[in-house]
Amino acid sequence: MIHRLLSSLLVLVLTLPLSAGAETPQSEDKPFAEVHVVLQISDRDPFKQTLVLNVANNLLKAYGPDKVDIEVVAFGPGLRLLLADNANKGRIEALAGSGVRFSGCMNTLRNFTRQLGHEPALNPHAVKVSAGVVRIIELVKQGYILIKP
Amino acid sequence: MRRSTRRDVTGVLLGAGLLAAGGAAQAANWLMLQGTEPPDAGARARVWGFIQPEFQSTDGSKLPAGPWKGQKAVFNQIGPDLESSSQFNIRRARLGVRGTAFPLDNRVNYFFLVEAGRNGITKFGDAVSLTDASITLNHIKYARLRVGQFKYPGSEEGLQAIHVFDYINFTNVTNFLMLERFFDSDGSVPGMDPNKPNGSVGAFRDLGIQLFDTLHVGDWEHSYAFMIGNGNGINRGNDNGKYNYYVYLSSEKVFGGKGPRRQGWKLYGWFQTGQRTLRAGPDQEKQDFDRTRWGFGSTFRKDKWRAGAEVIFADGMIFNGTDGAAVPGSLNNKGTAVASWNVLPEDKAWGFYVDLGYRVHPKVELDIRYDYLDRATETDANERVFQTVTFGAQYFFNKKVRMLVNYELRMADAPQLDGSSVPNRILDEMDNRLSAQVLAVF
Repeated sequence: MIHRLLSSLLVLVLTLPLSAGAETPQSEDKPFAEVHVVLQISDRDPFKQTLVLNVANNLLKAYGPDKVDIEVVAFGPGLRLLLADNANKGRIEALAGSGVRFSGCMNTLRNFTRQLGHEPALNPHAVKVSAGVVRIIELVKQGYILIKP
Repeated sequence: MRRSTRRDVTGVLLGAGLLAAGGAAQAANWLMLQGTEPPDAGARARVWGFIQPEFQSTDGSKLPAGPWKGQKAVFNQIGPDLESSSQFNIRRARLGVRGTAFPLDNRVNYFFLVEAGRNGITKFGDAVSLTDASITLNHIKYARLRVGQFKYPGSEEGLQAIHVFDYINFTNVTNFLMLERFFDSDGSVPGMDPNKPNGSVGAFRDLGIQLFDTLHVGDWEHSYAFMIGNGNGINRGNDNGKYNYYVYLSSEKVFGGKGPRRQGWKLYGWFQTGQRTLRAGPDQEKQDFDRTRWGFGSTFRKDKWRAGAEVIFADGMIFNGTDGAAVPGSLNNKGTAVASWNVLPEDKAWGFYVDLGYRVHPKVELDIRYDYLDRATETDANERVFQTVTFGAQYFFNKKVRMLVNYELRMADAPQLDGSSVPNRILDEMDNRLSAQVLAVF
């Protein structure tokens, strides 16, 4: 009996450090989220804009708004999705209302500014991040699943 | 900026919100759809087009009276060649590119389209003809500018995108009054040199500049357009120094959806006026004639139902068919003259159409249309009334490909002339017409 108890304790001690090392994503806005997803949009194709929003919507429908944590990261030509006048701004508004976060790459924004001669306005739901690709790496390190539709 | 989340938003609200947003996000009317790209979501260059192979047939009844008695009747021949009463044809084959040249600046859009099918554009013009080449500048709110060659704001049947047209042939009122043919002469002097079009049909397009935009007020969408053009159709300059002026107004209650088959109820009205230079009368002296068109109508599309109606009035430059209803260019039986195309430069006409469609199955729509044209109302001898009832069926293979079958019951008469007169005996021989077409958009 004692031998069995000691064995169980040994297993527990051995597995404890491993459990602590596997980081669980935490989001202030989605404390009950069980699935954490980062959606990448870096393509110039307007169809991809619709697709990435569709995927976000489908994830919300599949898991429920409280159970899934979604962040859309836009960089490169894909940042057009987060420009203020984008034709999809109504859909972005609705998705943001369900807790989907939108991040826009500052590097790309600076590049757009250089090409246009002025800084284009961003969607009010977009949050500027220093580099889109770095933001994705950080989220993946936290345990987010990267999907590039 | 602070990220915020509303945790209490339910899936139901989400769905409703997305539906509402989807409807409002896309400006969907003919002014906007044909040349304007969605903001920050337009491609640099999107290649697209469509192909319309078709078959049309009549009984090919011959002329029963008049100088061309026994010869082919023009209204029983199949265009644009008018050589046979039954034929296969590629009605339209169009290839285009549209987009935003510099995707970061969505304020500048372009639209380019060429026609390689066999129709009134290519029969009388080049085998491959430019139909659209326009640039739209969206810099000023409520005052967009479009310059180049494009569809003028006008009659619904002409302004709508042809690849979503629910029938194969135009109504008579649109064909005779709006699909403009351009001639050098009125064709009133008989001879051996037949009067014929001097180039492509107008194709409901003009070269010029248009000021336009759409205003959204709740579920309603109000649009306006003013245009100044050469008034000389496509791929021509201004031959007389006179311009054509166009005005268009519409209001649409949007029920939902987007694109060319968006659901809604639209009311519209339009007006256009200009002058055409033509050799006319016995002396064939060059003169300028007023050409004015105006009309109003309504369209409706909701769930399985679709309907439309429009009234069109015309003053001046009335296209009047051919001498004795013979095929243009054919010699009369006495050998003294060949049949010419004719124009009545100072006459009037009017007409209307009513159209109804119902989806009996997600892939099948049944259509019926009645159209009426009273041509040359100012001269008893020339007045003709055309009435057509078109029965149609459309089978949708998918969103891009469909097959259309039409059967037209066609009637015509000269109401001011005796029933046994030559014109009425000729018009009695107008055959019904069967048409089938496959349309593929890519």
